[in-house]
Amino acid sequence: MRNTYLWFIQLVTGALIAVLAGIHTVWMHLDAILSFFGVDAKDATKWHSMIERSREVMWAGIYIALLAVVLYHALNGLRNIILELTPSAKTERIVTWSIVAFGIIVFIWSVYVPITLLSTQEA
Amino acid sequence: MRQVQPRQNNLGIGGWIWAGNYKLERYLYILHRVTGLGILLFLLIHLTMTTVFRIQGQGVWEATMSILHNPWFKFGEYLVVVALIYHALNGLRLILQELGFLMGKPIPPIYPYRDSLRKKRLWTMAMIGIILILCLVFFYDFIAGGW
Amino acid sequence: MDKEKNEQITFKVQRYNPENDSKPHFHEFVVPASRGTTVLDGLIYIKENLDSTLAFRTSCRMAICGSCGMLINNYPHLACHTQIEEFNSSKLTIKPLPNLPIIKDLVVDLTTFFETHKSIKPYILRHDGKEMENPSAEFAQPPQALEAFLQFTYCIKCGICISACPTSASDKLFSGPQALAQCYRYCADTRDEGEPERFPVVDTDHGVWHCHLAGACSEACPKGLDPALAIQLLKRRMVSRAVGLGKKEPPASTVPPNTETKPKVPFPDFTVKGSK
Repeated sequence: MRNTYLWFIQLVTGALIAVLAGIHTVWMHLDAILSFFGVDAKDATKWHSMIERSREVMWAGIYIALLAVVLYHALNGLRNIILELTPSAKTERIVTWSIVAFGIIVFIWSVYVPITLLSTQEA
Repeated sequence: MRQVQPRQNNLGIGGWIWAGNYKLERYLYILHRVTGLGILLFLLIHLTMTTVFRIQGQGVWEATMSILHNPWFKFGEYLVVVALIYHALNGLRLILQELGFLMGKPIPPIYPYRDSLRKKRLWTMAMIGIILILCLVFFYDFIAGGW
Repeated sequence: MDKEKNEQITFKVQRYNPENDSKPHFHEFVVPASRGTTVLDGLIYIKENLDSTLAFRTSCRMAICGSCGMLINNYPHLACHTQIEEFNSSKLTIKPLPNLPIIKDLVVDLTTFFETHKSIKPYILRHDGKEMENPSAEFAQPPQALEAFLQFTYCIKCGICISACPTSASDKLFSGPQALAQCYRYCADTRDEGEPERFPVVDTDHGVWHCHLAGACSEACPKGLDPALAIQLLKRRMVSRAVGLGKKEPPASTVPPNTETKPKVPFPDFTVKGSK
């Protein structure tokens, strides 16, 4: 039932992304509407607010979780789209393993930044 | 008797893209695929910016941000947000329908046939309505926040 | 369209003779049609009067055998089931079903289609082999249990859903909506215990999970089968088995035949005397 598990995780990560990316997009973009509700997003792309956010464990946690689920969902989707073009069995294996390797490398590379920023003492 | 090979007749990727006389759900499928690939592309660029440019310190970050406050980039961001809203809400509909929840029960096929997707089309229209409302909400924010 | 008067309809038919042609091309024929003329009637007219080398499949001419599936004005129909009048046009384009190899003209090769159908084991599988080989009793199946899969038993294997499916267009190893709907038909049958044998066939890299609910198969199905519904219910079944949720019903038990005999009704009197 391997493929059933892979697709079930695709559906679960899809639902999680809808929540986490929703939080991320709303925080980044909807300044006017959030301030209407009394929440101050502090112009999220400015350097000082970004640094403040990256020191909070909750935000770093949200970012790392979002990264993990998005990488799984997007790369599994890409793998299935490529497999629908019916390559040969050998090409299928090459595609699968290169996508897995790409995903692991990108995850390790990208998770390094929030973790280091979590512990910086920069003003 | 001479054996002749039958000629391959697959539509290929054209079968993904061209939906012709088919109904709404096939177009939703095409858009879901296109937005998914578009978001993947944006994701790779976004990851590069928030890692490579963030770790190099305040100067590089603020220089990049000032380039990105260009109206063309803002519009591109809005398109990505629209793609994300569509993919997320259509994805939620797909999660429910692919696990058989919003599809109804098997019925005896009595002409004129009403397949399950057509019976539940009202839910699909409601989902599209929510997508449009959210797109307008984000559009207002882009205008209010200034180009 | 008038019932008495004939209109002249142009049929633009795709021709391909593998012995002579390198690629398919179109021939135009003018066919007289009135109210009630089907596309199949038009093709038979062409074959009898205009060009006897035109090849197409037909048998029952009443939408029950599934032979005459073809692409009419870029949408898959059964030719016997399609009135010329419904297109409101004096020009029809007729092509063979896509996503299946062409043998000649409008005849497509259904071998892979039938092989895929056989691969999902379209028959009742039970653990008690002896009962299957030498049945001694009926199976008990209430009407509600029958309704859960009855709609999917009406498949005539015409191949139209395969032509409509966007995944079948590019993925040659995809099972196709017909095989997946029949797989659900047998798994949902309470008489059947063959889920562990069918699931590995459809749980592959090119199996049920490449269906993305485009819904074109249900829309195009000429018998109203709704294969899309069957496939989503199959996915639900596979997920609940994989995750461990959902209760497994026991298969239908056998009902031994009635042993008590009814009292015999006396033989009626002969009405014509003298015939004893």
